[in-house]
Amino acid sequence: MGASASVTHDGLAGSKRGQAIDNAERPQGTADFPDPVRRALLTSLLAASAASVIPPAFAAPPADAAQSAFLSASQTLTGQSSLDPEEASRLYNALIADDPRFADGVQALAKILGQSNIDLMQLQHVLDNENSPVATLPRKIVTAWYTGIVGEGEKARCITYETALMNVVVADKLQPPSYCYGAPGSWVEKPA
Amino acid sequence: MPEQLSADIVVIGSGVCGSLSAHRLVSQGASVLILEAGPRVNRDQLVLNYRNGAFKGNWMDPYPFFPWAPSPNFHPKDNGYLVQAGPYPYPAEYVRIVGGTTWHWAAHCWRVLPNDMKIKTLYGVGRDWPITYDELEPFYYEAEVKMGVSGGPGTGSPRSKPYPMEPMPEPWAMRRIRERLAPGGYEVITNPQGRTSRPYDGRPACCGNNNCQPICPIDAQYTGGIAAATAEKAGAKLIPKAVVYRIEPDPQGRIAAVHYYDPNKNSTRVTGKAFILAANGIESPKLLLLSASDKYPNGLANSSDTVGRNLLDHPSSSLTFDADEELWLGRGEQSPSSIQKFRDGPFRSEHAAFRLDFTNISQVRTAAEELVKQGVYGPQLAQQIRYHAARQQNVKDVLEILPNPENRVTLSSQKDALGIPKPEVHYSMDDYVHKGMEVAREEYGKIAKLLGGTNLRYTPKGEYGNNQHICGTMAMGNDPKDSVVDGFGRTHDHSNLFIASTGVMPTVATVNSTLTAVALALRTAQHIHEAI
Repeated sequence: MGASASVTHDGLAGSKRGQAIDNAERPQGTADFPDPVRRALLTSLLAASAASVIPPAFAAPPADAAQSAFLSASQTLTGQSSLDPEEASRLYNALIADDPRFADGVQALAKILGQSNIDLMQLQHVLDNENSPVATLPRKIVTAWYTGIVGEGEKARCITYETALMNVVVADKLQPPSYCYGAPGSWVEKPA
Repeated sequence: MPEQLSADIVVIGSGVCGSLSAHRLVSQGASVLILEAGPRVNRDQLVLNYRNGAFKGNWMDPYPFFPWAPSPNFHPKDNGYLVQAGPYPYPAEYVRIVGGTTWHWAAHCWRVLPNDMKIKTLYGVGRDWPITYDELEPFYYEAEVKMGVSGGPGTGSPRSKPYPMEPMPEPWAMRRIRERLAPGGYEVITNPQGRTSRPYDGRPACCGNNNCQPICPIDAQYTGGIAAATAEKAGAKLIPKAVVYRIEPDPQGRIAAVHYYDPNKNSTRVTGKAFILAANGIESPKLLLLSASDKYPNGLANSSDTVGRNLLDHPSSSLTFDADEELWLGRGEQSPSSIQKFRDGPFRSEHAAFRLDFTNISQVRTAAEELVKQGVYGPQLAQQIRYHAARQQNVKDVLEILPNPENRVTLSSQKDALGIPKPEVHYSMDDYVHKGMEVAREEYGKIAKLLGGTNLRYTPKGEYGNNQHICGTMAMGNDPKDSVVDGFGRTHDHSNLFIASTGVMPTVATVNSTLTAVALALRTAQHIHEAI
């Protein structure tokens, strides 16, 4: 009783399970051992900005300020300096549709990210530890950019696919699935 | 007065088994009518659905849902159609559309091993098939020609003629795996596949879209959609959105007619000389059970009380790891290569046999999702996506579960939109499975070591994925007391009712079941042709 086998398919058994990646095997950096000095700095920054995180709804900031903050936060979180503004607008609109407080939250997040000495590998850990009101935002933003998906569960929807960053950052090696790789048999060669 | 239709042969289900048996019979001069519960679908629309879909890891996602012909779907949540009675989950997936579930499959086209068909005699477990490999061999070849199968040596299954096409070009990743596992005594072979290694029968050569599941965009992969079109082109009449809900016997026990609903629940009666039930391993027994009457209280073809019982599939465990060199899965087809050495041997008296499969599915999305879950942001994110997408590999087993009468499909008390009872599945795992899984797990470790594997992620012990190879529920056998059909697929109880389905396979062996089911269906069609 209680065994909960998940659905898998030909060629993909268990690929969604048992995925707890051991950070020690990562090429560099970990998310689990924050530098105490940086952590203290980030904590104080969070405290300083906390008061402005959730203003009353009637005091909603202008949309362009929030969009600008979204683009800025997106550049930092994705590690990509040149993000397409039109795509940014589509992702932003999808994100605010799910969460009316997103516009305020992303501005608070942008302020945090705008501080120097932010260690992005510690960011989630610190936000979680502080129970920050913006703790859920980085994942939402990065998920939107990298996988093209906004929303979770039954609310999930695809905003981008071919230009989702996960496909862009491997474009020298792979096509997005469903697109032709190349001439028949071209995949026998070592990836260039 | 309801509408009436008639044909020499009435086929229930337009999947690859139903359509190719229909094609064979219509080509030999019979009039053939195919009734399909679902609607027609358009391949290009399915490709668009995939690209625009939010659940790219759920291969049911691109396939639309129809309340009058529901299909199981478990993501983002269980839609409740395939009722789970436990104790073990059996989240089987299938689609009810013209062409059936081989719209999405890995297109593995294996033959069983001759020994697979006599494991009771050889190893004292399971049950023997009522036919021999040699009797099936010509129909295997016929199926391979019709489906366009590419393949090479090393499968262990004897052949009278070469594969219709040379093997698929081996992806670089699979070549490296083959080369690096050879010193460990593992022979990695290129799988036989219903996939074009060159242009074949109007289909283009595979160009490596790496999207075999959920949908090949170019028909390099054979599908039931192609099979249905082939049958129609040869003259079979196909009626979509025809949900058969009752099979009607005459006083002599022959089948007189079947009845179907359209989506508005208007009923039509269809008569014929012979009937082929080809509605997959779950919907077919459901229909036999649904057709119960005072004279047949257990349902049709069920004097043995084995309809729906002995449900079989392939449970799988796996190991995901990072190899020590760049492999870049995702170039070429999704499931190219495997290891055969654990498929047969005296050990089968003690534990389950299995095949080991290597995936070639792009790891980009799963790597990205996992890293985001871990909270990796900034320049590290793209770097680590590349690192893991280049190195991540998965080896899984495709393992033989033995027939158990308590593993079964029954009628649920819940009903679908047309008022038809939903199928309910009862499933469990035994020690024969668990012991085989333990052996496979040890092999995974050895394989990962040979590939310099790090970051090893085994699936949890006792938790197995499912492979949607639904077998056993209408098993063939010589004894009418413990089987549903004979070696020709004819039901023991009704002389003009035949079954063409993976459901007639009495054991599941260690290979994907489609090609074997098609070969059996073609043999059934040959038998019907001779009989009428």
